Amino acid sequence: MNIDIQYRPGSAVAKIQIADSESVMAEGGAMIAVSPNINVETSMFRKEQGGLISAAKRLLTGENIFLNKYTSSGGNGEVWLAPNLPGDLETRTLDNETIYVQGGSYLASSGDIKLDLSFQGAKSFFSGENLFWVKLSGTGQVVFNSYGMIYPIEVDGSHIVDTGHIVAFTDGLNFRITKAGSSWMSSFLGGEGLVCKFEGKGTVWFQSHNPSSFGGIIGPMLRPNK
Amino acid sequence: MNVTIEGKPVFSHLNVVLEPGESIIAESDAMANMSADLDMEAKFNGSLPAALVKKFVGGESLFVNHFKNNTSAPLKLALTQPMPGDVMEMELKGNSFYLQPGAFVACTPGIDLSVSWAGFASMIAREGLFRLKVSGNGKVWFGAFGGLIEKHVEGEYLVDTSHLVGYEPGFKLSIQMAGGIFSSILGGEGLVTRMKGTGKIIIQTRSINSLATWVNRFLP
Amino acid sequence: MQSFEHTIHCKPDFAMLTVRIPGGKTLKVEASAMATMDTNLIMKTKFKGGLGRFLGGESLFINEFTAENGPGEISISPTAPGDITHRYLNNETIYLQNSAYVASNPDILVESKWQGLTRGFFSGESLFLIKCSGTGDLWFNSFGGIVELDVTDGYVIDTGHIVAFTEGLTYNIGRLGGYKSLFLSGEGLVCRFSGSGKIWIQTRKIMPFAWYLNPFRPSK
Repeated sequence: MNIDIQYRPGSAVAKIQIADSESVMAEGGAMIAVSPNINVETSMFRKEQGGLISAAKRLLTGENIFLNKYTSSGGNGEVWLAPNLPGDLETRTLDNETIYVQGGSYLASSGDIKLDLSFQGAKSFFSGENLFWVKLSGTGQVVFNSYGMIYPIEVDGSHIVDTGHIVAFTDGLNFRITKAGSSWMSSFLGGEGLVCKFEGKGTVWFQSHNPSSFGGIIGPMLRPNK
Repeated sequence: MNVTIEGKPVFSHLNVVLEPGESIIAESDAMANMSADLDMEAKFNGSLPAALVKKFVGGESLFVNHFKNNTSAPLKLALTQPMPGDVMEMELKGNSFYLQPGAFVACTPGIDLSVSWAGFASMIAREGLFRLKVSGNGKVWFGAFGGLIEKHVEGEYLVDTSHLVGYEPGFKLSIQMAGGIFSSILGGEGLVTRMKGTGKIIIQTRSINSLATWVNRFLP
Repeated sequence: MQSFEHTIHCKPDFAMLTVRIPGGKTLKVEASAMATMDTNLIMKTKFKGGLGRFLGGESLFINEFTAENGPGEISISPTAPGDITHRYLNNETIYLQNSAYVASNPDILVESKWQGLTRGFFSGESLFLIKCSGTGDLWFNSFGGIVELDVTDGYVIDTGHIVAFTEGLTYNIGRLGGYKSLFLSGEGLVCRFSGSGKIWIQTRKIMPFAWYLNPFRPSK
């Protein structure tokens, strides 16, 4: 599978070329275009063990509950995928590893990667952000998206990231919510609020912008809700 | 101090490295990530009355954050703006520059921020009564929604009012209709700013107001 | 005829088109798209005419800018954040999605084309296409980046991502997979093109962007 990312970091699109009979899994709603010899199968996301995740629970968490499987037949095929919001795309080749990707940031993965949504550990911390996490593990390629420009931060010790700017992180990092400034007053007055402190050794993927901030600026100019 | 602007022009943000003892001042809520050992302190944006004026009319927050490196090793910090768009760096050596409210991102400690009256021209064009004046010695980083283009004007130029980000002092601004009353109302151009003078102006290639009007058509 | 000298800045996210209009010549520009211009450009509004365009949600008017007493420069910024592409039409026809028109040489014929109820591009896009034909410059824009596809044996494209295509391609609107997949897979309608030609697609579409902003609206 060959993944070519164009138009980084604001209008990023993934052009995926697959060989005959090869497949790629992608989030429902991500497809822009496919060559005529691509077949699409839609499936409801299933837990590793084979059961079905309750649809109601998935809808609450905001992640689209359907995955599309694109398979090429009669030759090579092309699949063009993009996320909903303006932003960037990043690919990662996993070699029998695990990463956690923010719900809404998962875009696509090669067929052998396992997806698991039972990881709830961070949810209670990020209650203001309405986040949930997708655990991706195994060997293969993954594609995830961001609002803003995305790049990896290598953590060796500790680093602070504002909670609205975390896209993904590697298994093994510890994290906790803390205040940004030297005093609580400073944090709230300075607008920073709560931030996440990562400790240990690993990688955090960071996005340069926060979608809620833009919403806050343009919101007052939009037509009011009835 | 080393500051680079990444992600131009759509998701511009600043990557800052502060040497021991150095500090940088940023708009409230601009911090996106930072070394855990950096000190951050919220301070009023100027004296109290001025800060209140800035908040309610200048569009800037009451507070700014001072980030200071009180350790003995260089520390990193990333600063961003709330909207997608471009960021530019400007060096001031005792001179000043006018910016639209909301354009300020960060500055070095020698820069002064103040709000000044922009004249009735701005009020008619609905852009607000005030403009931000940056002056002093040091660097200032500012941004806007859209890409930023720097243009040297000699004599006269017409700019759609919602696309003007900043300009050097010395320009005379006046409002006019783009092309006859009928044309202006129907053709969508509305009001434009006529700039007379010589110097540098900064324009943005999009406007949030226009985007909001366009998005409104698609909202439920 | 000669192509007008032009530059496209800030591709692909906040593209702005700058055209140098030769003295005595005219440029047709989408209403409400001018950002800056030289003072010797005279703007006139022309009624586009045709109910179709108005119903399609696009403004009814196209502005004409004429350079008097020498050449004049105009910069054009569309409303949506995205890309601009130039195509010099050589006695050919291109169909544009309803909000994609930016500017053209006056010799290009620009008309609305009703697609008929069964062939309309739904999911937020209008039922009209803009047909541009003749010889001369044409510029069109997108939401997100523009990708040009050279198609020899057809292609399948989500209707919300289509920007433009050359005459000669035939198309059919339909579901992506089986009936279940329409509602479950998250994909809306797709357009199956047959034949060969060029298709321009955009890397984002408007409806999900509007849904994302929906929670930030003020309440009545």
